[in-house]
Amino acid sequence: MSRKLLRNVGVPLLSLLVLGGLWQAIVVGFHIAPYIAPRPMQAIDAVTSNWSTLWPLALGTIRETVYGFLVGAALGVFFGVIMAKVPVLQRSVYPVLVLSQAVPIIALAPPLVLILGFGVTPKIVIVAWIVFFPVTVNVVDGLSHVDQDLVNLARVYGAPRWRTFLQIEVPATTTPLFSGLKIGATYAVTGAIIGEGASGSYGSSLALYQVHANSNLDAAAVYGTTMLMTAIGITWFLLVVATEVAVTPWQRRSVARQPLRRRGVASAGEGTSIGSTPLKGES
Amino acid sequence: MAATLLALRDVTKRFGEATALAPTNLEIAEGSFVAIVGPSGCGKSTLFNVIAGLLRPDAGEVRLEGELVTGATGHVGYMLQKDLLVPWRTVEDNITMAARLTRRVTNADRLEARRVATEYGLGEFLRHYPSALSGGMRQRVALMRTLVTHQPLLLLDEPFGALDAQTRLEMQQWLLRVWRDTGRTVLFITHDVDESLFLADRVLVMSPRPGRVVADFANPLSRPRTMETLTDPIFIELKSQVMRLLHGGQR
Repeated sequence: MSRKLLRNVGVPLLSLLVLGGLWQAIVVGFHIAPYIAPRPMQAIDAVTSNWSTLWPLALGTIRETVYGFLVGAALGVFFGVIMAKVPVLQRSVYPVLVLSQAVPIIALAPPLVLILGFGVTPKIVIVAWIVFFPVTVNVVDGLSHVDQDLVNLARVYGAPRWRTFLQIEVPATTTPLFSGLKIGATYAVTGAIIGEGASGSYGSSLALYQVHANSNLDAAAVYGTTMLMTAIGITWFLLVVATEVAVTPWQRRSVARQPLRRRGVASAGEGTSIGSTPLKGES
Repeated sequence: MAATLLALRDVTKRFGEATALAPTNLEIAEGSFVAIVGPSGCGKSTLFNVIAGLLRPDAGEVRLEGELVTGATGHVGYMLQKDLLVPWRTVEDNITMAARLTRRVTNADRLEARRVATEYGLGEFLRHYPSALSGGMRQRVALMRTLVTHQPLLLLDEPFGALDAQTRLEMQQWLLRVWRDTGRTVLFITHDVDESLFLADRVLVMSPRPGRVVADFANPLSRPRTMETLTDPIFIELKSQVMRLLHGGQR
């Protein structure tokens, strides 16, 4: 167990440390001026020493990222399902969705701010705009590759379509769904920062904090803010991965855990006695 | 003579220009074990899909226990060469899958799944996911899942086709035991002549273009069938007759 933990957590941490070491070596080795690039510890220090200012701003970015992601994921699943189920919609809606992704998101942000104001709404819209697409693409692919023999088997049993959808098609799509969600999760924070940047000098946000630090030639704060934004993105990605691990136990385990609740049956006594008692009665 | 469970009358199916199934008449007695052998493309699976209700025939009717079921599903047990176990459910939950797909799963369903699995040697694997099972075990779970639907007619489409010879023989003997225990009627597709003669009371031979039943053999070999059955003179004689029908055109 501890070996597994070491491999899953230790190795990624080690590669982060190597990356930091490389950064340090380049800055020191090439005598890079501190107003161009700080050392890693200076950047980290610029975050921790200004934590009381940065944390509320980060909280704002987290909120935009999470809300936007959830809206985008819901939209992505919705579009994915209707397009997979209605061929006419796939032919008519899919091109529009592809078009939506061809619009440079940086160019989309200013008009959205004009329409929706300087609040949290345009940021959520931008994040959702970015997140929904990989989710939709993967859900459409997943649903259209469900084993038709399995769907036919459900039909032979006389299953209504909605039950087949919930019991067969939805679980069969978990892996592609989470592929889409993971791609969306890595992009989500980017969308939030673009939205913040498009709000001009109005309000306060991580993006504006960085712009100010940049105009003050405070490289440590600029790099530190970038690291903080990245940390938000990574944390959200890891939360999505953790959710996937939690809802897909069959991908790692060969035996299911004992269920927390099992209506009625558990109270009748668990284990082999259940299987063998009626057997004796019948033979 | 047992009552007729399944009756096909002039069942015909075309796909475009090709006649997948020429007008077919067939009666299957209750409790019998009938095998259908034929090369690929002879319409075996089309016949099955019509009986199961997955395909609506272009003409003719399908009756189960006298009731008209042409083009309707929910009347038969059905199992393919692919086990079609869902990886996200445990063995127990795979066995109760038909119930889950048509109504709420009850305690009685779960108890029955456990009873069947225990009786046929998979009681210790109830909480395992299918990925932890061997091919033979997976096929056994698939058959248990078919059994607990309580349909009188089981359609088995080459269920052991993907297994190695050793496992296959074990599964055949196990299937005969299940058949004897439960008294179901079995319609069994295979392209293995040995398998059809080892298992069935009656062997139908089909041939392609157009798909049709060309011969109907009664199999008088006594039960229980064992390894010796495979070398019985009657077995050899029947086998050569069926083989001549299947490969006659090529000699």
